[in-house]
Amino acid sequence: MDIFKYLEGMAVQHGPSGAEGEVSQWLKPQFEALCDEVTIDALYNVVAVKKATRKTSDGSPAPRVMIAAHQDEIALMVSDILPDGTLRMGQVGGVDPRILPAATVTVHAKPDGKEPQKLLGVIGSTPPHLLSAADRQSNYTREALFVDLGLPVGEVKALVSIGDSITLQGPATKLLNDRVASKTMDDRACIGCLLDAAERLQKMSHICDIYFVATSQEEVGSKGAMTAAYAINPDLAVALDVGHAIIPQSRPDTCLPLDAPALTYGPFIQHKLLDNMKNVAKNHAIKINTEFAASSTYTDADNIIIARTGIPTVLISLPLKYMHTTVETLDTKVLSECGRLLAHFIVDLEEGWDKELWN
Amino acid sequence: MELKQLCELQGISGREELVRAAIYDHCKNALGDENVMIDSMGNVIAHKAGRDKSAPHVMLSAHMDEVGLMVISATDDGHLRVRAVGGIDSRVLVSKRVKVGYAIPAKDDKPEVKPLNGVIGAMAIHLQTAEDRKTVLPISQLFVDIGAKDKDEALSKAPAGTPITFDTALTPFGQDKILARALDDRVGCYNMLRLLDADVKGDTDFVFTCQEEVGCRGAIGATYRLMPDIGIALEGTTANDTGDMPDAQKVCTVGSGVAISFMDNASIANPELFASMMKLAKDEGITHQVKMSVSGGNEGGVIQRTGSGVKTCVLSVPCRYIHSPSTVCSANDIEAQYQLTKAFLEK
Repeated sequence: MDIFKYLEGMAVQHGPSGAEGEVSQWLKPQFEALCDEVTIDALYNVVAVKKATRKTSDGSPAPRVMIAAHQDEIALMVSDILPDGTLRMGQVGGVDPRILPAATVTVHAKPDGKEPQKLLGVIGSTPPHLLSAADRQSNYTREALFVDLGLPVGEVKALVSIGDSITLQGPATKLLNDRVASKTMDDRACIGCLLDAAERLQKMSHICDIYFVATSQEEVGSKGAMTAAYAINPDLAVALDVGHAIIPQSRPDTCLPLDAPALTYGPFIQHKLLDNMKNVAKNHAIKINTEFAASSTYTDADNIIIARTGIPTVLISLPLKYMHTTVETLDTKVLSECGRLLAHFIVDLEEGWDKELWN
Repeated sequence: MELKQLCELQGISGREELVRAAIYDHCKNALGDENVMIDSMGNVIAHKAGRDKSAPHVMLSAHMDEVGLMVISATDDGHLRVRAVGGIDSRVLVSKRVKVGYAIPAKDDKPEVKPLNGVIGAMAIHLQTAEDRKTVLPISQLFVDIGAKDKDEALSKAPAGTPITFDTALTPFGQDKILARALDDRVGCYNMLRLLDADVKGDTDFVFTCQEEVGCRGAIGATYRLMPDIGIALEGTTANDTGDMPDAQKVCTVGSGVAISFMDNASIANPELFASMMKLAKDEGITHQVKMSVSGGNEGGVIQRTGSGVKTCVLSVPCRYIHSPSTVCSANDIEAQYQLTKAFLEK
């Protein structure tokens, strides 16, 4: 899989939580090329089914595996149009106001009776010449910032409405050592892992039916994963999300090395399934790290685990620097290793995989 | 030369070599080798004889340099430590892209040099304490990430002293506007290059200065060398005209024409010169405004105080979000600055 090409593509798709229509339409054909059936459901979850390619030896039904990563992104929305035509912002998901001054954004205008338009906007900041010493000592709040479209107020009002989405811009940028920085690595990089695994599985056989899901609304409480897990009713699930990688300001024990996927352990995670995944990594020489979640993992895993009667689930973390910024940075080799781990986990899943689950 | 081309050239204060080379070549083509020099500070000075020897000798200035960053060292895990060159509010740096090093085209037997991509990240919001959220990250806590694995790799790719610029391509924006980095003061350079073919009345020196952003250092020596009768600085100045900014804090308005300064923090315009600029703009029907707020400083100040003193006035293109990666100005205001300066030189 050409990972950079995928990242370049996903970085210019827009899909704030609850408005994933555009990104789901972009993802659909990519899964169609690798899976048997792809649908987009009522919440914009993209569900791609890859049927078993090998029968179970005992004639038992194919286990159903759900593999989830979220497609939605943190974003902003128009909350007011000021008299000079600049826009006040509300937020969708956790946007750090520190990243906003001097950022460029896309305002998704939906004028009445006209085609939707994407408008380039700049988030203003006060020039240093005019700042007082006190100004410099506090961070901007979102409420004190605004989006400038460079248009007269009349034109702004004709195009833009309160509630229109505003997405941040951050194209995929190549760094040294196969590292790439981009917006929405969280979590579309992990959807890249799903596609990478699906591609590897073209040449491998598996007894399970695989449900790859690009979920919606993760950033506002994993709502897409909740309904997708209900609809699919899987026997087991793997969630993939980004994890905080070490940066100079990191506090000890809170962050992961950038150079390997991590598996989460903790009360929410089915520990035998986790052991299973660790063995797969060991057998295929995939380096992994581990991380601990005392309760919530703050990923799609949390809601999948409690869907219907409960679903044994494991969580793979793709380490990411600078999460929830427009320069989210990862190592593309690790993205590929996550894909390899997923593919082998699926292929190695044999009949009776669940026999020892609760022993 | 197009503004886009000028804005694409990287040139932080003290490292204006790419801008200088392009401007030097352009001036030599326009006025002949004998009329163009690079002085001992690195300013480009282009001389044009006037048609009226009794008319005042005019010096125009625009600065070639832009604000940026410079590498000072690296952390053990390969993040570049940097410092600002020129006035940058560290709050505009978080979550931005930069170019580390300069893009130098292949020349003679030297291969093309490409800058490295870099990003400035910060701790994720999930990991911030309440205290973190309030604390402004100073530049000493912001790092440029080029993807290096360790200190040795980082410093071999980007040694201490490597210049860094914002990574913003010039883009048309909104109505008649432009979004770019370094508009302050490539707009002035752009207009001065256009003015080289003006039918100047008095002897005129076009001075493309260096190191303006670190204290107007270049203009000092150039003015001393030339000792003109009149000095006109062509600048990009802060606008501060958007959002719910109270009128009293607005400096000038983007799209309302060239801003003529009666005073800023560096100089008081010569009143006669200011009045004649205002009258000229009015007579010629050139959109103009008075820079309302006394703020900022520029080369007008050092030109005025050089030697036995020079009459000065500053003509600016209003720029929003100046000294940030995303500066906005109006194409109409750039044209107005050109028209007014041209009218002044020719009358």
